[in-house]
Amino acid sequence: MSNYLDALSVLLLISAFVLMGNKRTNAYIKSFKMQSILIAILTGVMGINSLLKDGHVDMLVVCAVVIGIKVIYIPYLLNKTCKNVAYRVEKDFYFNIPILILGCCFIVVFTYFSLSTTTGINSGNINMQVINSVSLILIGLFFMISRKKAIGLIIGFLVIENGIFVTALFATQGMPFIVDMGILMDILVAVIIMGMMAFRIDEKFVSTDGNKIKDLRG
Amino acid sequence: MGFVLLAVPVIAVVLFFLLKKMQYQHAVSVTASIILVILGAFLTREVMLYGTVEYTALGGIFYIDALSIIVLDIVVIIGFLTSVYSIGYLEEELREGKLDQGRLRIYYILMYAFIFTMLLALTVKNIGIMWVAIEATTLSSAFLVGFYNGKDAIDAAWKYIIICSVGIGIALLGIIFLQFSSIGVVESSQFLDWTALFNNAADLKGPTLRLSFIFILVGFGTKVGLAPMHTWLPDAHSQAPSPISTLMSGVLLNGAMYGIIRIVAIINHSFGNSIFVGRIMVTVGVLSVATAAVFVFTQKDYKRMLAYSSIEHMGIIAIAIGFFTPLSIFGGLLHMINHSFTKSMLFLSTGNILQKYNTKEISKIRGMFKLLPVTATVFLLGLFAIGGAPPFSVFTSELLVISSIFQENNFLVGGLLILLIAIIFTGIVVTMFKMFYGNEIPRETSPGEGNIPGVVTIVGLLVIITAMGLYIPGELKGLIENAVKIIIGG
Repeated sequence: MSNYLDALSVLLLISAFVLMGNKRTNAYIKSFKMQSILIAILTGVMGINSLLKDGHVDMLVVCAVVIGIKVIYIPYLLNKTCKNVAYRVEKDFYFNIPILILGCCFIVVFTYFSLSTTTGINSGNINMQVINSVSLILIGLFFMISRKKAIGLIIGFLVIENGIFVTALFATQGMPFIVDMGILMDILVAVIIMGMMAFRIDEKFVSTDGNKIKDLRG
Repeated sequence: MGFVLLAVPVIAVVLFFLLKKMQYQHAVSVTASIILVILGAFLTREVMLYGTVEYTALGGIFYIDALSIIVLDIVVIIGFLTSVYSIGYLEEELREGKLDQGRLRIYYILMYAFIFTMLLALTVKNIGIMWVAIEATTLSSAFLVGFYNGKDAIDAAWKYIIICSVGIGIALLGIIFLQFSSIGVVESSQFLDWTALFNNAADLKGPTLRLSFIFILVGFGTKVGLAPMHTWLPDAHSQAPSPISTLMSGVLLNGAMYGIIRIVAIINHSFGNSIFVGRIMVTVGVLSVATAAVFVFTQKDYKRMLAYSSIEHMGIIAIAIGFFTPLSIFGGLLHMINHSFTKSMLFLSTGNILQKYNTKEISKIRGMFKLLPVTATVFLLGLFAIGGAPPFSVFTSELLVISSIFQENNFLVGGLLILLIAIIFTGIVVTMFKMFYGNEIPRETSPGEGNIPGVVTIVGLLVIITAMGLYIPGELKGLIENAVKIIIGG
């Protein structure tokens, strides 16, 4: 059991690195989908485990919802948004991709050192898993600030949410069922709204370049 | 009764979907808000009599105590005033062709969805569901910020939803660490249950709790508009329609601050002192007030100016909570109430000004006393009130907060706070006073108030804030004292 979880947590971290290396918006969505599939497997494994151990089906329901929302619907929605907006390739990064990947490595090392010195988290066998998932959150944030376009921001936000979800699974065996459901609903609605807005921004000024939002400073 | 409170906005939303006629929609909106006020009054009485309102249904999810009822009453009262104001405001917008019937319906649907999420956040015991509700407030208000569909409005809405969603996501990470610190202390059926966490606070794991507080402060602090996470706030407040700015400034910020206060209560109870939380809260609070002090001088837009003033006042509340003495918390909660009413009055007045002059720029507005005699008077007095001039209510609560700081012998923070508040007062006066005088009245405008229900609302608010400045009713005082006891514990 713990071996599977270790492997999945590492794979999730790798998926974040892969995402960071992507240039095309289509590739972002594919990487995100891969990551969501990994999360679905993770919840599935934990769900079966808790079913066998305590007879709870909660986690399996969460798993089904994750598949429905994160693996199928959100990538579909993003693909649709992506078709509507004018650009396909991110041309102008603030940094080039090797530097971004190095930045991700730095984030993982940083998380390792900061969390391993926090007593309380550092006890028991969850240590590395939590470090991997917190790194995932930070890489999501880093992804958001490294991409300029609206789709990049939405994907970054989703990676952060994925990371938080995984942290909850690893650190606490999942939040209370109703909270998990509420969080997934919120994410779904958030992505729908963001998608619509990205489309409207595109209508208004042709490119969804967040960098051009200059009128609202100060 | 409590569940009825949550059902009313939902029913209102359904009715907005069903009823096509505009008059009906106004009627539904006002009726729903009146019912909410009545239910709020009823629940307030229950809380005064029994301390808490709890039901066993749905796993005991519903929970109101003195702290939540204070914020809840602010929500329902300002919700009521906003719906009354909205009638006149929306009619005027329709006349000018800025809206059509369909958009009006969307406005009401989103407004009541927003009120529902606010009420949900305030009436649950589970911190996780509170988080879900606070995130939902962002989602329901995002389209309201971008309601006018202009370039700036959509920019502001985009900035709002991205910054707040990510910020609130960080708060969720904090909540996960909070749950983590409670594993083995509370039963799994009571995970994230506020009362269980508070009662067992002494056994929570300290280091994880510290980590959790920092994440939660950054997360909910984004929503409160504490510097340096405040960047979305001036844009969103200035671009949203004025009644929505009112709801955001008067209601939404308090809701997020309520989340922070709940967490602070657990953590201080756990550590047995407020040194850790206090340092962080006071720093962030002073930084917010200082940010506002710098930016009020450079504002060209009167709604942005008021938004920066909201940042200032949230900073003051954060400082008050940071000091964590009974007097400072009392002052902080009172300040929350006073700020909400005063700022609502100001934002509602800006709606009248905006509709008359069709501009948000301070430099283009002259001769307000001639064109809008009542609104101008209320707005002028409101500016004094929000700056902290006696005899208005904000003065009373600021005085309480500052004297509580001096009581703790912290002359540095107290002195700094007085200085910054004075600077902000000057800044508001210097930049805004030009609006009131002058003879150059723009063409195509005629003197007189347009929005009669709106004028009645703002005058009513002026009466409330003046009365509250002179006299705090005994019941309210008792309620706030109970809330202080809940926060401090024991």
